[in-house]
Amino acid sequence: MTTVTPYRSTVSGARDGFGALLLAEWTKLRSVPRWGLALLAAIVLTIGPALLSAANSSGGGGGGGGKPPPGPADIQDLGYFVNRPLADNGTVIARIAAQDKARSGLMARASLERGSPYAAVLLVGDRVRFQSGYGDTDVAGAQGHRWVKLARSGTSLTGFSSADGRTWQKIGSVKVPGQTIAGPVVAVPENVKVERQFGGESISSTPTQGTASFDHVAMTPQPPTPWRNTDRTTDPAGSGGPGAPGGAGPPEGPGGVPTPPNTAVWNGGTLTVTGTGDIGPYGFADDRTRMVLTGVLLGLAAVVAVAALFVTAEYRRGMIRTTLTAAPRRVRVLLAKATVLAAVTFAVGLVASFGAFLLADLMISSRPGPQLPPVTDGPVLRALVGTAALLAVAAVFALAFATIVRRSAAAITVVLMSLLLPYIVATGLPLSVARWLERLTPAAGFAIQDTVRRYDTAISPWAGFAVLCAYAAVTLAVAAHLLRRRDA
Amino acid sequence: MEATIEIRGLRKRYGPTVAVDGLSFTVEPGRVTGFVGPNGSGKSTTMRMVLGLDRPDAGAALVDGRPYRELRTPLCRVGAMLDAGAVHPGRRARDHLLWLAHSNGLPRRRVGEVLELVGLAGAARRAAGGFSLGMRQRLGIAAALLGDPPVLMFDEPVNGLDPEGVTWIRGLLRSLAAEGRAVLVSSHLMGELEDSADHLVVIGRGRLIADTGVRDLLAAASGGRVELRTGRRREAMTALAHAGATVAATGPETVTVTGLPSERIIALLTEAGVAFSGISEHRASLEEAYMELTRDAAEYRAVSREVR
Repeated sequence: MTTVTPYRSTVSGARDGFGALLLAEWTKLRSVPRWGLALLAAIVLTIGPALLSAANSSGGGGGGGGKPPPGPADIQDLGYFVNRPLADNGTVIARIAAQDKARSGLMARASLERGSPYAAVLLVGDRVRFQSGYGDTDVAGAQGHRWVKLARSGTSLTGFSSADGRTWQKIGSVKVPGQTIAGPVVAVPENVKVERQFGGESISSTPTQGTASFDHVAMTPQPPTPWRNTDRTTDPAGSGGPGAPGGAGPPEGPGGVPTPPNTAVWNGGTLTVTGTGDIGPYGFADDRTRMVLTGVLLGLAAVVAVAALFVTAEYRRGMIRTTLTAAPRRVRVLLAKATVLAAVTFAVGLVASFGAFLLADLMISSRPGPQLPPVTDGPVLRALVGTAALLAVAAVFALAFATIVRRSAAAITVVLMSLLLPYIVATGLPLSVARWLERLTPAAGFAIQDTVRRYDTAISPWAGFAVLCAYAAVTLAVAAHLLRRRDA
Repeated sequence: MEATIEIRGLRKRYGPTVAVDGLSFTVEPGRVTGFVGPNGSGKSTTMRMVLGLDRPDAGAALVDGRPYRELRTPLCRVGAMLDAGAVHPGRRARDHLLWLAHSNGLPRRRVGEVLELVGLAGAARRAAGGFSLGMRQRLGIAAALLGDPPVLMFDEPVNGLDPEGVTWIRGLLRSLAAEGRAVLVSSHLMGELEDSADHLVVIGRGRLIADTGVRDLLAAASGGRVELRTGRRREAMTALAHAGATVAATGPETVTVTGLPSERIIALLTEAGVAFSGISEHRASLEEAYMELTRDAAEYRAVSREVR
């Protein structure tokens, strides 16, 4: 054979790098029109149900036709409150002589407006607790104390307890701006029954009456106005309650026996209060933000399908060989695919979740009835951006699983089932089993959509999202390992 | 090592089936090497191992002296077309080449250049799903040429092409080799390679059967036979046998002579006064030569399953 001059490639500027792979995978994703349509469908499918539910939610949520309570839905405020203005540097003191199932003590708050900031020292069982705000935060105080005191200094309210009324022990303090009213309060949790069966659950609550008596009730300096009784039973759903204007009358006990009315009676130095209603978080409120985002379950199906096809379409036609010939470092190919898919589905998710929320808000706000919280609320933003992140992580999960099984149908089915299983079977399971499903399966990721802590909240938003991320990460690691090892 | 494919003791087994069994050969630059064997003889498997897609159980397949997986911008080193159908049907031809170009950081203009080169410029904006098999072959070849690589591998490129396409691809293969590239072309039909290959690697059952130049192979298969046409068969046979040739009658007026060059035969017959109407050196076709070589391997066809 004669000597040949070997050929040299005339193409210059060739480079390898992760950026080149990202560009390649992005080109792949955008150049199949059907995938683009599916992602568009994901947006429509997410927004559609939000608009439908917004259109159907007319007339507000209650038979009483009363105006819904203003402020957040997931709080209850308040019980039976006997109050008068508390001056700066003033104190209010009381001894709890007796109480039944109620929690009683002293409360100070800015106003009677629902959800306004407050501080309360309450006897709960045998222990005094300092409670403020509407979350799960309260501070435990001493055991066995019966004396309680609230002291105001500027905007600061401090709670004390004492065994004898002489030596006071500080429990906690909180800032409450503006004017302050203070006095004895009685709060009783509602009696709530939850029944679950396939197809749904029913929650029924009946107000419970509680009684407590106080003595040594004193406010210094003594204000000019007398004690005023505020009986506004908690009523987050907006339906009639015993104390609500236009309410359906006195509450009825089991068996339809009317319960006696709420009262506050002074007898010498002793105040006996019988009341209903509670203050604090309300675990049975509707999570309206999450309800608006229900459509993401449908959008998710489209996103998972595209994510799986993004790799299985290559296996089906042998194109994976072209891909791996062009980029022999296989793990980088998988990571480039995952990155592109995550970025695109995150963007799609943002459009879908904000679109669903803002359009539903537009429809709902034009009518009276329960409104959506403002979009700028922290939990709402977390839910909306989190929904987009949820789609992105679910897409990576589907991509990784599809790389392992290399079959579209199997990948889409398994991933969707794992994400939706708790929703399909949960209502037929006991609450505790359902909760564990919602904690341990990839479906835990939906917790990021929660804006309200409810009785059935299985896992906190970030922890739930972390569970889904862990599934995606482990699956991606297995996929990378197999992709490296297997023949293409 | 420059612009070569080196196969050294390559072995690959899929479950109970040995697809490639101790194969060794080299693809040199500047010529078209035909890679021939019956279906399922291990051609595609070998090519996949060259591209680092399948891992050999033993041996090595090297490109430029290195395993494929170590190449950094592989499209500029090796161009390969394994399966013309390996295109997403929803993607336009141009986009298919564009993502490939991006993956190796090749300039965008290469896409237009290779489309022009394979005659698909007019179909660049059409989805690949609507392409005929011949158009897909051209698209696959365009993809292989994207990085203008010195080494090229085509698996059955002639499959499904119309006669015009076959002529085109033969010309293309020859011109690529003439530029100094190493070109490996597989086929299960030797005839397809007759006009394009310079060198042949013949395998059967995953083993090397022949690694030889096309001319040498033909000469060996022809075996120096001369076909003689004459009305006086008997006299001719006597005269030639007398001179030491092996003579066989192959028809009423035809005789095959072995062991004497044609000039000597003419001289002998003229001397003996035997008239003849024609004399020709027998030239075996590549197909015949191949059939001879793979006679053993051919038995395999009846029992073999197609190995991917």
